[in-house]
Amino acid sequence: MTVRTRSADTIVTALAADRLGVPTVVYFVLSAAAPLTVVAGVVTTSYAVTGITGLPVAFLVVGAVLALFSVGYVAMARHMVNAGAFYAYIARGLGRPCGVAGAWVALVAYNALQVGLYGALGAAAAPLLDQWFGISPPWWLIALVAWALIAVLGVMRVEVNGSILAILLTAEVLVILLFDAVDLLNPAGGAIAISALSPGELFAPGVGALLVIAVLGFVGFESSVVFSEESRDPRRTVPVATFAAVAIIAALYAVSSWAMTVATGPARIVEVTRQDGPETIFNLAGAHLGGTVIDIARVLFVTSLFAAMISFHNTTARYIFALGRERVLPAIFGRTSVRSGAPKTGSVAQTALGLVVIIVYAAFGLDPLVQLFFYGGTFGGFGVLLLITATSISVITFFARRPGEENIWRRLVAPVGATAALVVIVYLAVANFATLLGVDPSSPLRWALPAAYVVAVVIGLAWGLVLRVTQPEVYAKIGLGAEAATGRATPAMARPAGNQPRHARSRTR
Amino acid sequence: MGLADEFFLIAWDTAGSGAPQLHPRATSLGLAGALLGELTLAQRITVWRAEVRVTDPRPVADALGQSILHEMINAPEHTDVRTWLAYLARNSVEDVAARLINAGLLRRTESRLLWRKSVRYVATNYVKGAWPAVRMEKMLVNGERMTPADMALAALVEATGLLDTILLDRRDRLAARRYLATFMATIPPPLRDLTGHVRAAVGDAVLSYRA
Repeated sequence: MTVRTRSADTIVTALAADRLGVPTVVYFVLSAAAPLTVVAGVVTTSYAVTGITGLPVAFLVVGAVLALFSVGYVAMARHMVNAGAFYAYIARGLGRPCGVAGAWVALVAYNALQVGLYGALGAAAAPLLDQWFGISPPWWLIALVAWALIAVLGVMRVEVNGSILAILLTAEVLVILLFDAVDLLNPAGGAIAISALSPGELFAPGVGALLVIAVLGFVGFESSVVFSEESRDPRRTVPVATFAAVAIIAALYAVSSWAMTVATGPARIVEVTRQDGPETIFNLAGAHLGGTVIDIARVLFVTSLFAAMISFHNTTARYIFALGRERVLPAIFGRTSVRSGAPKTGSVAQTALGLVVIIVYAAFGLDPLVQLFFYGGTFGGFGVLLLITATSISVITFFARRPGEENIWRRLVAPVGATAALVVIVYLAVANFATLLGVDPSSPLRWALPAAYVVAVVIGLAWGLVLRVTQPEVYAKIGLGAEAATGRATPAMARPAGNQPRHARSRTR
Repeated sequence: MGLADEFFLIAWDTAGSGAPQLHPRATSLGLAGALLGELTLAQRITVWRAEVRVTDPRPVADALGQSILHEMINAPEHTDVRTWLAYLARNSVEDVAARLINAGLLRRTESRLLWRKSVRYVATNYVKGAWPAVRMEKMLVNGERMTPADMALAALVEATGLLDTILLDRRDRLAARRYLATFMATIPPPLRDLTGHVRAAVGDAVLSYRA
């Protein structure tokens, strides 16, 4: 080894020392996906609200579509600064006004996802509070306690220890697998029914609703690309972690939602979940497991909801921060707390919205589980579906201008296939929105909720065009996020790390 | 006193409790930027857009600056400003603190509360510790003419989000931000690009924050 290469290695090796490997990235992604929140809360409520049973197949289908989408997504991510935000891809692929429209859709969707979680907390914590303290406070009081905690954590940016999150996530997954095993070993009527896994379920009326719910289960998988510049090998770590996360989520949710139908019998799952709500999985497993296991599972359900709340709170605050840095939102949103480095203004804005929503729901006596948690979740999930679809189109147009950059599978075949599938899913989702909400097809909500995104898109496009005329220097930086400070659109550090010699990489584990 | 020394004395409450005023990631990136800024002001390196290059290999008097310059000369394949910012940020707090301690300006104390170790840096002379922040406040509020070194310091203070710490009065902040916006148009391009990268790196750290 010559002196020259050794000195080059010093820099590369030093920077690679605290970089992330595949398992770490997968853990970060999954802890945002909050598996127990989905299995105990989303899956049971969706059986109850939609009244149809094809959810396990929907998870597998959406998993396959998102895996296909991820091929082009992670390829384009390597060319992106601000890679964690869908609107950045849309701005690059479909033009800056579309990017602003995407940003507005994202703000609506991620806020809805976060605020919706407040509605589930009451249902999750009630049995524990009753059992431990003999109290049964109203749901909004429990929600307000959580809200206050999120408000403080969001601005303080207290280090939630990565290993604590990892332990909680592992425990959640173990509990889910244990419950699945119990359900499958104790099938209703003595025989394991596989009808819920039949592809024929996808041709049942209302399938669009199931597909949106399945997309909701995957939300968070997109955050893997945030770690590009921090990963050991951006060309490998991020793609592998993304596919692994999508596969794990698809398998876990498909098996769990199927196992529930086996335990109740496919014909009774809707009836049971309508009666027991999120208690369903605890009741089913509780018949065969000790009370301690069930108590641990209930605690994990609460921590899982809380982890998801923090995660979506931070996602939303960072979106607002990135837009503030670009000056698409006022500059004050781009400032951070001096002491903690938290995106202060974005965090406070998200917190304020949460308070308003909790107060409105409590004042009007709306149902927290269905009308807040489930509507918030599915409405947000639908928004994320729209973002994924627009991003998938952006991948095609982006690489169409750079044909030499990636092979034809990554730049054309996979993105076109994914886009076609996603457009079909969006069409079905809009067509079946009444089923998704469990309302009569003549209900105004059935059009009002999807129309909210149309409004966001129109205002976003208009704002983008206004910026083009009135503030061209801001317009030029749409989608660049923190990089608006330099105007650079392609990432910096991916290059030296990607070029590092093999021996340097292997030396650092 | 070097650019990084002054930034350090502003980023840590050296004239008071000795505790950090700014979160660790922004502090270390700000100091890394200040160290590159010193070499830029000494006309040994230059920054153009995303690239940094050694333009004059002659040694500088300061030992820390010299060791950085030496590393940059030996690794000409690394021209990305962000690579160097990330690399220098790893040890920038300790490096600059050591320089200030050697110069007799700073004292390091450690305290332990339960399992958390906290490091404090206290100025040996109260006035010298407080001066950079006071001077910067005065210049920004009064819109005084600045040398390139002062402009670089002000730009780094703004880029890392420290501005609100030295300007406690809300009206002062508005005036200072307006003044900053005007003089950023006149700051030498290498310093403008360098501090722009510090600002972007600090923002990036917010966006890729885990948990």
